[in-house]
Amino acid sequence: MNIRLMSLLTLTAALVACASVPERNLALDQARGNFNQAEHDPQVLGLAPAELKMAKESLMQAQQAWISGSPRPTVDHLAYIASQRVVIARETASSSAYQRISSGAAAKREQVRLAARTEEANKAQQQLALSQQSNASKDEQVSDLEAQLKDLNARRTDRGMVVTLGDILFDSGKSQLLPGAQGNMAKLADVFKRNPQRTASIEGYTDNVGSVSSNMDLSSRRANAVMAALVSQGVAAMRLSAKSFGENNPVASNDTPAGRQMNRRVEIVFGPESVRILAQ
Amino acid sequence: MKIAPLINQTTKVLPLTLAVAFGLSMGGCASTPVPHERMAVAEAAVARANSTGTSENAASELLVATTKLERARQAVIDKDNALAAQLAEQVALDAQVAELHAQSERSRKAAVESKDAARALSEEINRKPVQ
Repeated sequence: MNIRLMSLLTLTAALVACASVPERNLALDQARGNFNQAEHDPQVLGLAPAELKMAKESLMQAQQAWISGSPRPTVDHLAYIASQRVVIARETASSSAYQRISSGAAAKREQVRLAARTEEANKAQQQLALSQQSNASKDEQVSDLEAQLKDLNARRTDRGMVVTLGDILFDSGKSQLLPGAQGNMAKLADVFKRNPQRTASIEGYTDNVGSVSSNMDLSSRRANAVMAALVSQGVAAMRLSAKSFGENNPVASNDTPAGRQMNRRVEIVFGPESVRILAQ
Repeated sequence: MKIAPLINQTTKVLPLTLAVAFGLSMGGCASTPVPHERMAVAEAAVARANSTGTSENAASELLVATTKLERARQAVIDKDNALAAQLAEQVALDAQVAELHAQSERSRKAAVESKDAARALSEEINRKPVQ
């Protein structure tokens, strides 16, 4: 049946088209050109392969009709179908390319916010280092704890002044203080020296990634690492107490990377003057 | 309507040339049935493209589809069923093109807005005075 049908087709073609070589068909040439362009466009190739394949099939159909000498309107029609399928592939690809740009830009915004926060912290650190060098003579004037802690981005809370050490001071999952933390530790130790009556509670927190017990453990080790660093800088251990809170009391949502980063922290809470914070 | 079975029979019995000659002599007759299914697909595709706010972002593409649908309907009335079938097939794709173009336009605008927002944030942060 197939062979018969094919010979029938061929014969029909030969009869319909007076010449043995079919006349050029502009619509088909155009469809072929459109397809070739799309096929060499990495965006279309990468983002709309299925649509491109359908366009190719339509083009082959049009080509076949042309070769077998189908009437011009039929070839024109099939060529038009092929061209439109190329357009469909192009539009599909550009749609998803733009969508990728959108999500990329959203990620960029998140990155910018994080970078800004980090830079703020770095700037504060630099400023303090500078003021330590050049303002040694003014040290005595700065007796107010709040003023002294300003450069450490301390917050006034109902529990007292709180200095937050971000998780950039630790390697992921580790409790060893990175060398970059030494500047902050020196500044904190200095504050303790200038305020001999002050005691502080050192509190470790994590985000909610991982088990509750491992987070509790990590926050405990980090709080103790900060405490050890302060003791090694000359702060009396009896003035300090380390506590671990794990993933409790988050300061931001754990649903975003930025929020989780903010939750991974060690807080140093300065108690009211002359009142001991009880070690647990 | 009797032509198709007749061709089948003759191809089995008579030489091919005869069948072809016969087929050719009958060719161009209104032997194609009314393309109900294709028309329905075309109508549905245009209706769908119309209802998704395509007119805002792909007005000319949508116009191509609706105008051609009108021609396809007219072809059915004129009993030019072969033409109607071709037009209907094209309309379905034209409508899809309109819809996709509109979607692509919306995505493009969203991407521009998203980039602008990221740039605005960068600028705002850079402009923030040092305390």
